[in-house]
Amino acid sequence: MNIQHHPSDAWLLDFACGNLPPLFDQIIKAHVDVCPVCKEVVKDAERLGGELLNAFGQSHSIPVEMCHEKYGDISHTSYDASRAESTGHVADLEKLVSTYLDSSFNALPWKSFGEGLKLCRLIKEDNVQMWMLRGQPGVTLPVHSHKGSELTLVMKGAYFCGSQIFQAGDIEEADETVEHQPVITSGGECICLAVTEGQLEFKKVLPRIVQKFVGI
Amino acid sequence: MLAQQEVLRSNKMGNIIKLTPSGKPDTSVARAEETRLLVDVRDNASTESFDKFFGIFTPKLVAWVTSRGCAMGEAESVVQDVMVSAWSRAKSFDSSKASARTWIYTLARNRMIDLYRSGTRRAAAHEEVGTLAETMEPMQDEPQKDLARNQVIDAVETLPAEQRDVIFKVYFEGRSHREIAEELDLPLGTVKSRARLGFQKLRKSFKDSI
Repeated sequence: MNIQHHPSDAWLLDFACGNLPPLFDQIIKAHVDVCPVCKEVVKDAERLGGELLNAFGQSHSIPVEMCHEKYGDISHTSYDASRAESTGHVADLEKLVSTYLDSSFNALPWKSFGEGLKLCRLIKEDNVQMWMLRGQPGVTLPVHSHKGSELTLVMKGAYFCGSQIFQAGDIEEADETVEHQPVITSGGECICLAVTEGQLEFKKVLPRIVQKFVGI
Repeated sequence: MLAQQEVLRSNKMGNIIKLTPSGKPDTSVARAEETRLLVDVRDNASTESFDKFFGIFTPKLVAWVTSRGCAMGEAESVVQDVMVSAWSRAKSFDSSKASARTWIYTLARNRMIDLYRSGTRRAAAHEEVGTLAETMEPMQDEPQKDLARNQVIDAVETLPAEQRDVIFKVYFEGRSHREIAEELDLPLGTVKSRARLGFQKLRKSFKDSI
């Protein structure tokens, strides 16, 4: 996997500090799982967390006896506390879906969003939603902007956005300042996982009507 | 100099908290000792070493968890859970991958994520809480030459104020870059840029020196 597009450091810092709403946390984790570059950034951000924890802040201690009561055997099971250590494999689409979404990919409730394009909303939490996109080769998505942050993880295939190409494992970052129109490459079907804050803002009427039925 | 000053911040409930340099010289000896204690817990189930490890980290963890929006009573409970977890999962500690302080930080961070997901953390934000400043122990009167050895504090001190502010908000207040942009009424790109620049400088400084 040749990953070229990564989340910005601000996203990775938030991830390493546990600051993200769960759905954004989930999609960053899916990328970090397969991206050695971002794994290193997250490890360093955690290391910095340990150093800052040590350097700043003092409060009272709590009686150690409170923990003595709960002492049990030291576990021999493996446990990686670092968020950079994980076993996910985004290259295996079915595995990613079953790992992260606990559902069979083909059984997902896909809805048509124009010819050659299907969308499926998976989860909605507060103002944030996770959805999937499945586009056939050459399909152009409607021009749209956003009402908040959006992260898109390519799971299979590729799409163009302007002069940039996003391929499996890449993350595209967008927000209210970004207006874009992804175009699926001619190489094959493209499947993406996306997390969006607020609803998408489509420029044309027809997508806006369909949007009401698809719910994104 | 920052090492001699308290950094005043407000947490998510608007309470003023103090982030005080711990007052103890942060040398490689201290780091190595923490790791030695944890390795002794891992290999020999030493309760004596664990009690020392506990004594080093619980005051720091209580301060950290409180600054991220937990009420004091809840913070103590969270830190207790983290320490029980540190004991029971000590076998997974690999000193070639992380220092003891990084390892305990990741355990505490993971516990906070669990709270976030369960909604407890958000509920806690509505509780009446005391200020962390009321419970903090005063900084010990260490000679300045010892404090200056704290490489992390020195590195933080050299950051431009706006970058330091964002780094503190991310690490100590648990605010996302979007929340920070809204709070400071800044464009998202500005906050992202400050976070990136601040993090890259700190990352470089501790890669060079630790």
